Amino acid sequence: MKRFAVICKMEFRMFARDFFGFFFALVFPVLMLLLFGGIYGNEPVSEGANVGMMDVCVPAYAVMVIGVTGLMSLPLTLANCKEKKIYKRFDATPVGKKSIILAQVLVNVSVAMMGILVLLVAGKILYHIQIRGTLISVGVAVVLSVTTMFSMGFLFTAIGQDLKSASFLCYLFYFVMLFLSGATIPDMLFPDTMKTIAKFLPMTHAVDFMQGVFAGDGLRGYGMQMLVLGGLTVIFVGVGAVLYRGKDWA
Amino acid sequence: MEQTVVQVEHLSLAYKNLRAVWDVSFSVKAGEIVAVIGQNGSGKTSAIECVEGLRKPDDGKVQVFGKNPWTNRGEIYKKMGIQLQEAEYPPKIRVVELCELFASFYENPADWNLLLTQMGLDDKRKGMVHKLSGGERQRLSILLALMGRPKLLVLDELTTGLDPEVRQNMWESFEKIRKGGIAVLMVSHYLDEVEALADKILYLEKGKQLFFGTQQEFREYVKGRVPKEEWEENCSLEKLYLMIAPKTTGLTMEGIL
Repeated sequence: MKRFAVICKMEFRMFARDFFGFFFALVFPVLMLLLFGGIYGNEPVSEGANVGMMDVCVPAYAVMVIGVTGLMSLPLTLANCKEKKIYKRFDATPVGKKSIILAQVLVNVSVAMMGILVLLVAGKILYHIQIRGTLISVGVAVVLSVTTMFSMGFLFTAIGQDLKSASFLCYLFYFVMLFLSGATIPDMLFPDTMKTIAKFLPMTHAVDFMQGVFAGDGLRGYGMQMLVLGGLTVIFVGVGAVLYRGKDWA
Repeated sequence: MEQTVVQVEHLSLAYKNLRAVWDVSFSVKAGEIVAVIGQNGSGKTSAIECVEGLRKPDDGKVQVFGKNPWTNRGEIYKKMGIQLQEAEYPPKIRVVELCELFASFYENPADWNLLLTQMGLDDKRKGMVHKLSGGERQRLSILLALMGRPKLLVLDELTTGLDPEVRQNMWESFEKIRKGGIAVLMVSHYLDEVEALADKILYLEKGKQLFFGTQQEFREYVKGRVPKEEWEENCSLEKLYLMIAPKTTGLTMEGIL
């Protein structure tokens, strides 16, 4: 346990030294909050609505934070360590690569949670956002969003033959989902065709789910989203694991 | 009787259709230094990666401390120190942090502060690993291989990239390692190093084992294979090796000058 704590400490230090990972997980979402909050404030999303614009944006930005860690930071770290044979070096020690990978996953999930917390605190202080959902419903939405985004990133590292191809897949899907899922631009502004395309993106379901439970909806109304996110997690992990079996780590 | 630390019998390994190692057998005893020599691509690294448990042999038997290294890695690595041919470390990690990290892997790690001083890396403690020079990285690799107070050291190109003075110091250190009863399996292209350190030589070409035995036996082996007019008594190991190594044309400069 002490050994694993040292590994996690080192991984966290290295994450903190990575400017882009740190900036996009912890700083950028707050800047988005300030930008859109400055434009719209936390005015009701429509006439008579009891949910403000920032009440809707914060859970969407929370998904963006999960996306940046699960689809960019972790998979690119995995692909880089594999390509440069860093895992091979750890494989030649009593701990092996599994402990290192587990620590990298834990650090990235922790950073995502920190990013969400920073967003919530900033939203509360600056725009008095309301979180009406229960701890359980919000928790389930966060966990399913994390498992989906992280398993998707894992799958991309399994599909990609090298760092370049894994990066391409991660960048492509992250940015497409970022702009079409409603995580940054409210989907109410999209034409119908884009809304239809967005329905096929995992991040769209995560954003819908998070926004719903943050607004106080119960889990019952989100059976479809839970099924999609849970099902995709199983598929991504399963396919990724099969593809990884054929890979040479040495 | 000296304990056999590594026992390899009829080891074979292929990468898809490429036969990398074919029917290789050798052993390493405690306090013994065995050097693996041969041209680039002769299967040296592949063979020792099977000993390290990093590759699964297709055929044959590999035992390290009496166990299969492929299936008992975690246990064996407590007593085995490894220096890989191409060692990369995590980006954005400092020398001192990497030492601290590797020390945490072992129950009774070596005094790495002392090792840093002995390896001439004292002033690089707080430096980033990726900013170290090639020689400094190599010294750090050796330090990390020694971290677990190993009983077996497997070193792939021990002194590549080191300057002559450090190489000389390293040789002296390996004399002490030998006296300490540690078994060493090393790959080297420097035959002066092999001559100075190795008790036994494993000579591979195109994945095939051509020779395994003492330096004196290697001399006899070569003598029996070269024409009398080419033979030179008391020549260096390097000269000896060049007498039987496959010949390459070298750079003729044709088309360049």
